[in-house]
Amino acid sequence: MKKTNSQKFRLGLFVSIGTIIFLVVIYLIGQRQSMFKKNFTISAYFQNVNGLQNGNNVRYSGIDIGTVKEITMINDSTIKVNMVIDKKIAGHIHKDAVATIGSDGLVGNMLVNIVPGERLETVISNGDVIKSSNKLGTDDILNTLNVTNKNAAKLTADLLKITNKLLEGKGTLGVLLNDTILAKDLKQSVANLKKVSQGASNTVNELNHMIVSLKTNDDTVLGMLMNDTISGNKLKTIVSNLEVSSSKVDSLIGNINVLVRDINSSKGAFNYITKDTSLVNSLKSTLKNINEGTEKFNENMEAFKHNFLTRGYFRKLEKQKKKAEKKSNK
Amino acid sequence: MLRFDVMTKQLKSFFIEIGELSLFTSRFFKETFKQPFELKELLQQCYQIGNRSLLLVSITGFIIGLVLTLQTRPTLMEFGAVSWMPSMVGISIVREIGPIITALVCAGKIGSGISAELGSMRVTEQIDAMEVSGINPFKYLVVTRVLAVTFMLPLLIIIADTIALFGSFLVENVKGNVSFVLFFNQVLDALKFGDVVPATIKSFFFGAAIGLIGSFKGYNCEEGTAGVGKATNIAVVSTSLLLFIIDFMAVFVTDIFFEL
Repeated sequence: MKKTNSQKFRLGLFVSIGTIIFLVVIYLIGQRQSMFKKNFTISAYFQNVNGLQNGNNVRYSGIDIGTVKEITMINDSTIKVNMVIDKKIAGHIHKDAVATIGSDGLVGNMLVNIVPGERLETVISNGDVIKSSNKLGTDDILNTLNVTNKNAAKLTADLLKITNKLLEGKGTLGVLLNDTILAKDLKQSVANLKKVSQGASNTVNELNHMIVSLKTNDDTVLGMLMNDTISGNKLKTIVSNLEVSSSKVDSLIGNINVLVRDINSSKGAFNYITKDTSLVNSLKSTLKNINEGTEKFNENMEAFKHNFLTRGYFRKLEKQKKKAEKKSNK
Repeated sequence: MLRFDVMTKQLKSFFIEIGELSLFTSRFFKETFKQPFELKELLQQCYQIGNRSLLLVSITGFIIGLVLTLQTRPTLMEFGAVSWMPSMVGISIVREIGPIITALVCAGKIGSGISAELGSMRVTEQIDAMEVSGINPFKYLVVTRVLAVTFMLPLLIIIADTIALFGSFLVENVKGNVSFVLFFNQVLDALKFGDVVPATIKSFFFGAAIGLIGSFKGYNCEEGTAGVGKATNIAVVSTSLLLFIIDFMAVFVTDIFFEL
């Protein structure tokens, strides 16, 4: 049966319109992604979504569980993100789960990461709002890096100054680095220190040895003191005897004191000799008289020598004396 | 006023054309499942269509792979992401570039061939002669050709994809010293079920569109040799346009089922 042009036209129109409707329908279906899956919606509030867009993935513990459905501005600092997630996975997400904005790799798309919470609360249901945590955005990181960079620049400039001074030999460290004599001295000092420490070590060893020998050898006084119990007992008795003796000496001294006091106070011969000044004077005059007497006696004797009666006797005595001298010289 | 008349006339003829094409398509489906099946002719057409286009498709595929890699390489190098080249080229060739370019080449080669062949048969009244001699010319000429293109085009596209990947590998091997095993491991790792299946399904539709429009234009060719030329020309242009529309719809449908 041959179709008329009118019929063909209507058919063509129908096919064209049908195709357009088909295209529109599949476009609309494509807009509402995952419509053939059983989904439900949850949402979270953020201060900054860092470029998150509709259709970005939603991840729970690293698994893609849905997409971002809608991003709306609630007020100047709050943004609501609605997410469509797979109902099968939703049974594992608790209400205390935390949503964060992340990125899929360094240059990848933004995504919402849902991190499991303490699992203390019940499982989420359709339309629930979960907590969110605002991570540092790239801009914030770059700002911080900028400050760090400036500080690093200052630090390196200072370091450069320090190293230059060091190289020029300025300051203590510079001298330490550049002065060869100082280095040699230091080397010598270290060598000396080494010797000293060696000596000290030897001394300590010797001391140790001495202490050990003191501990073990009873022949020395200290060793005996430390180790010999019999000698110790003897020493104890000696010390106690000494104590007794000292007490006796003490009483003796007391008696002497009494005696001395008595001497001082009494009128005995000793006191008379030591204290009476008139006695001294009379003794002095007596001695003077004796001196005078002896002088006069000498004069008398000289006169007696020249007397004719006794002169011969004295000449005889002189001759005998000379003879004796001659004999001794020979 | 005159212009409006012309426009209306053109629009009317456009819709009539679509109506005729729709009737032609419905007749094709009816005739396809009617006995007797022209299997011998179908195989002959498959051989003719597939074999005749193989070299052209291979060369095109190879050049596409080569050029795509060469052109993308500097940009990827800028980001230090040359290692992503095999997966990127693999996905873009298998998903989109391979099917659409091969289909366009085949629209020029096979579509115009079918249209010209059937058109000249129509002009030389061979089709009328067949009708007279009791052979169903639609079944013998149109159904076999359309089915042949529908079945052969996906195969040609698969071959073109493979050769394009080889072309890409050649560049990567020369410029980036990437080994054969590494390149194809990365390509196959990146490709998913959702990449290969929609592209293959889409290529059946591409084949059917090329065969149907080519046959439709040739079968309904106007009188005279000029008519053959005109039919061929319109067939190629319409097919190319329709291929993009089908591709567009295929992307939407794939998006729904495979979430691109």
